[in-house]
Amino acid sequence: MNKNTDTIMACATPLNAIGAIGIIRISGGESHPLLAKIFKPYKEQKDCHALMQLGEITTKNFKDKCFAVKFYAPNSYTGEDMAEIQFHGGVAIARGVLRSLSLLGCRIAEPGEFTKRSFLNNKLTLNEAEGIADIINAQSESHAMQAYRMLSGEFSKIVHDACKLLLDAIASVDVILDYPEETSIEDFDKIIVNLKSIEAQFIKILDSSANRRYIEYGINVVIAGMPNTGKSSLLNAIIKDERAIVTEIPGTTRDILKESIEIDGVRINFIDTAGIHDSSDVIEQIGIDRALVAIKSADIVLVLTDLSESPSNLEKHLLKELPIEKTIKVGNKSDIKRFNKKTDINVSAKTGCGIDELIICIFKKLQLTTDVGYITRERHLELVTSALQSIRIVLTTYTIASPDIIAEELKEAYRCLTEITGENATESVIDKIFSTFCVGK
Amino acid sequence: MNKEYDAIVIGAGHAGIEAAYALAKLGKNTLLTSMSLDSIGFMACNPNVGGSAKGHLVKEIDALGGLMGEIADLATIQIRMLNLSNGPAVHSLRAQVDKNLYHRKMKERLENTENLTILQSEVANIIIDANIACGVITAMGDKYKANVVILATGVYLNAKIITGEYSKLSGPNGFYRSEILGNNLKSIGLPIRRFKTGTPPRVMGSTVDFAKMTVQNGDNDRLSFSIITDFDVRNDMLCYLTYTNEDTHKIILSNLDKAPLYNGAIEGTGPRYCPSIEDKVVRFKDKSRHQLFIEPEGAETNEMYVQGLSTSLPYYIQEEILATIPGLENAKITRYGYAIEYDCIDPQALLPTLETKTVKGLFCCGQINGSSGYEEAAAQGLIAGINACQYVDKKEPFVLKRDEAYIGVLIDDLVTNGTNEPYRMMTSRAEYRLSLRQDNVYFRLSDLGKKTGLTDSFRYEKYLQKKSEIEALEKVAITKINPSCITELFKECNENLPKNSISIKDLFKRPGINAQALSKYIPELSKFAPDVLHHYEVETKYEGYLSRQTRDVKAMEKMENYLLPPEIDYLSLHGLRIEARQKLEKVRPRTLAQASRISGVTPADINVLIVFLKRK
Repeated sequence: MNKNTDTIMACATPLNAIGAIGIIRISGGESHPLLAKIFKPYKEQKDCHALMQLGEITTKNFKDKCFAVKFYAPNSYTGEDMAEIQFHGGVAIARGVLRSLSLLGCRIAEPGEFTKRSFLNNKLTLNEAEGIADIINAQSESHAMQAYRMLSGEFSKIVHDACKLLLDAIASVDVILDYPEETSIEDFDKIIVNLKSIEAQFIKILDSSANRRYIEYGINVVIAGMPNTGKSSLLNAIIKDERAIVTEIPGTTRDILKESIEIDGVRINFIDTAGIHDSSDVIEQIGIDRALVAIKSADIVLVLTDLSESPSNLEKHLLKELPIEKTIKVGNKSDIKRFNKKTDINVSAKTGCGIDELIICIFKKLQLTTDVGYITRERHLELVTSALQSIRIVLTTYTIASPDIIAEELKEAYRCLTEITGENATESVIDKIFSTFCVGK
Repeated sequence: MNKEYDAIVIGAGHAGIEAAYALAKLGKNTLLTSMSLDSIGFMACNPNVGGSAKGHLVKEIDALGGLMGEIADLATIQIRMLNLSNGPAVHSLRAQVDKNLYHRKMKERLENTENLTILQSEVANIIIDANIACGVITAMGDKYKANVVILATGVYLNAKIITGEYSKLSGPNGFYRSEILGNNLKSIGLPIRRFKTGTPPRVMGSTVDFAKMTVQNGDNDRLSFSIITDFDVRNDMLCYLTYTNEDTHKIILSNLDKAPLYNGAIEGTGPRYCPSIEDKVVRFKDKSRHQLFIEPEGAETNEMYVQGLSTSLPYYIQEEILATIPGLENAKITRYGYAIEYDCIDPQALLPTLETKTVKGLFCCGQINGSSGYEEAAAQGLIAGINACQYVDKKEPFVLKRDEAYIGVLIDDLVTNGTNEPYRMMTSRAEYRLSLRQDNVYFRLSDLGKKTGLTDSFRYEKYLQKKSEIEALEKVAITKINPSCITELFKECNENLPKNSISIKDLFKRPGINAQALSKYIPELSKFAPDVLHHYEVETKYEGYLSRQTRDVKAMEKMENYLLPPEIDYLSLHGLRIEARQKLEKVRPRTLAQASRISGVTPADINVLIVFLKRK
């Protein structure tokens, strides 16, 4: 990937803050063609420095009226062709736009990258440069931290394992190119088997990656609890929260069992477990059974308890049956609290107190990251996607392509992954060759 | 007697030769010294030139007007193109060379080079005035003045030869070592380190049973390193292949206590790519055999080089080892294998021009820089020579980029990240491997060579001729062909017959169709030389990959062209991480791109650096 001339983008307004408008900036040779793909009507006018138009932005999930500004190189901040999209504030839209552009091949910028390009194109004035070093450092530190956090868990294991297998494959091919008289590909079948397993793993990552899956399909949150614990009030309170956008999904808006809202670009479907509060003469076990059916497909279960009422047996039974990793115990009516109960979080649907924290709690439980983390993660997924592309090329062409080409694709895949892990690709290959193969005259 | 020169080159090995020749050709009055004139261009180890990645280096040296390719062609006794089945990017020419003839031809050539004076003498010290090199003093006390001094001392500085329990303070092959100079280099502040390498025993050919070995012939194609070679190189001598076995390994393993490498007698760092046989046997226990090539040392000697059997085990173990190997059971050793330890410098002390950072006008090239191999040495010699000339003339440095030549990769690797072992060129080190090929070497470098003045007009004309042939072929390739006229071709290449007419270029693009087959069936192509067709075929088939690499190169261009001011004080640079400050201070990179390649310097550090530069 071309680190200095490919087309990059960034949200110029904070992703998790609320503002009247949001701005996404794109810079690089492809910025105008990219804009043309998502913004209509797109006009071209060459004899000006910048061009602002009103139009409509189209992404996979929504359309929105917005302004687009085109800057023509060299008359832009970075000195390259640039585009700016100004839309109604809200993270959902910002993320939607970023995601659409990403699918079209636009890369999320690294910290300070716009500034770097600006500098390389002699656009930065002295005053502008002042103090930017600190910002870059601060940003990249939080990046590094986030990246590190992200690299724990399954994702990192898959990437590391893939790196290992790829390195083996590259070393096996490269050693032949560097020591043609002493070696031959002994076990190409093994390389192919390994590549196929990487392919399968990557497809799994991309399909199941928390962010991607949740962004694609939304989060299903089941609200469970006794009657009158305040489930509907809670839902209403969340909907009223200014961070939430109520999405209108045909056929579901009037479904009293399900309300969908969108927070930080992620759709959350709240599902009421009607079974439990059906009527008091239903025996406990049936209520729990029904709840269990509902939560099977749920990502999160909120077990609501009324802090003004004494604990019930039904609640206790329900909690015992639920898997802990997707259960959040929510105490409601904290404003009129009378009992101390063991909960994960207390809220008051009435006053709105604790609602924000509850949302954060849901995101945390799902290991969904926001803002910087989200961006790093998206970048990682982009890199995995590119690596997968190269691996697939090898898998389809290895019978006819010469080893130097195969090595090229393998290295491209490896380079993408080392960008995630931060290793030095060339050095690793050479170390691997010498530690694995007995070569040298 | 006039003892003033423009340039002095110390050492007439493969690096020193190229440096001195380049300086002399560029009009500089040059003195080339060697402790023994009988060791000019001496091949102390293997009797070949070229090989994987090294063949590329030799071709690049030739394109830039250097000597190695021309002389190798004169002394070749067998020639082969390696890697033919592994893709055109890695096709590598390798010649078996008559060592003595190579030395004689080289010496003859240097003797007949204008502006070049050859002197047998041991240099004891460099004269330095106000941190500027301005001459040398010999061990006899004689002084020579010069504007620029080039160190090309190879493995001779404080060299020590080791075979088993025996060791001797000596240079390779019984040549004198250099003692005074090595110690004086320390005192001028060059960071000295100790490296180790080794060589296998030689045997008398008449005592080898070749019937038990596999014969290796040269290729049938007409091959040569130099673009100006207009004769068929000699290609009639044979090499042989045999193997070690479990018996061999048993002997080695039971005598490890006598191996200097394992009993602590050797302190230097040896290369991983050129391991001794004891190293191979210890590290790769599961391999039941290792291959050995038996190669002639020359046409007028019966001595054979046992490639793959580098060792420093005692003489009697070497004899025992040979006795276990098919064909070598009764072989008489003519020269025993040995390990050699020597002083060299940390190449991070050098600029990409190969000038030292601490002493102006002092350049270093070859094994003294921690590299290994004749070709690596020659490549550095050439670059040091050209830059020494630029320095004297106060002109811009001549630095090859990583996307332009293996030479660029070699020197950038050395000066940017240093090396912990003798550095060998490998194709895996080149990130633009598909673009750095032998077949396009003159297209990559002839213009640059002409600019330095070293690629003379005769060579350049040869290149222009090739270029015009390629252009003619490009024109012909637009021609559309009716597939029905070439059904035979498609049948032969096992390709599907297209429905519509197809351009010759598109035919070249098909994976199953090669240039050779095409020229057989398309008469328009038969007038083009095989190398022209080959070059066009590679460029066409790899078009997608090559344009991707071109794009990658373009992306780095601004960073490559951004020169860092030499006076930056990295240690006090606000905002940089401590590690980055220290690394940058040590390397003092020439360009922003080079800075970004230092291991331990992150992209964020580079961004901080960029901002700092702008703020200044």
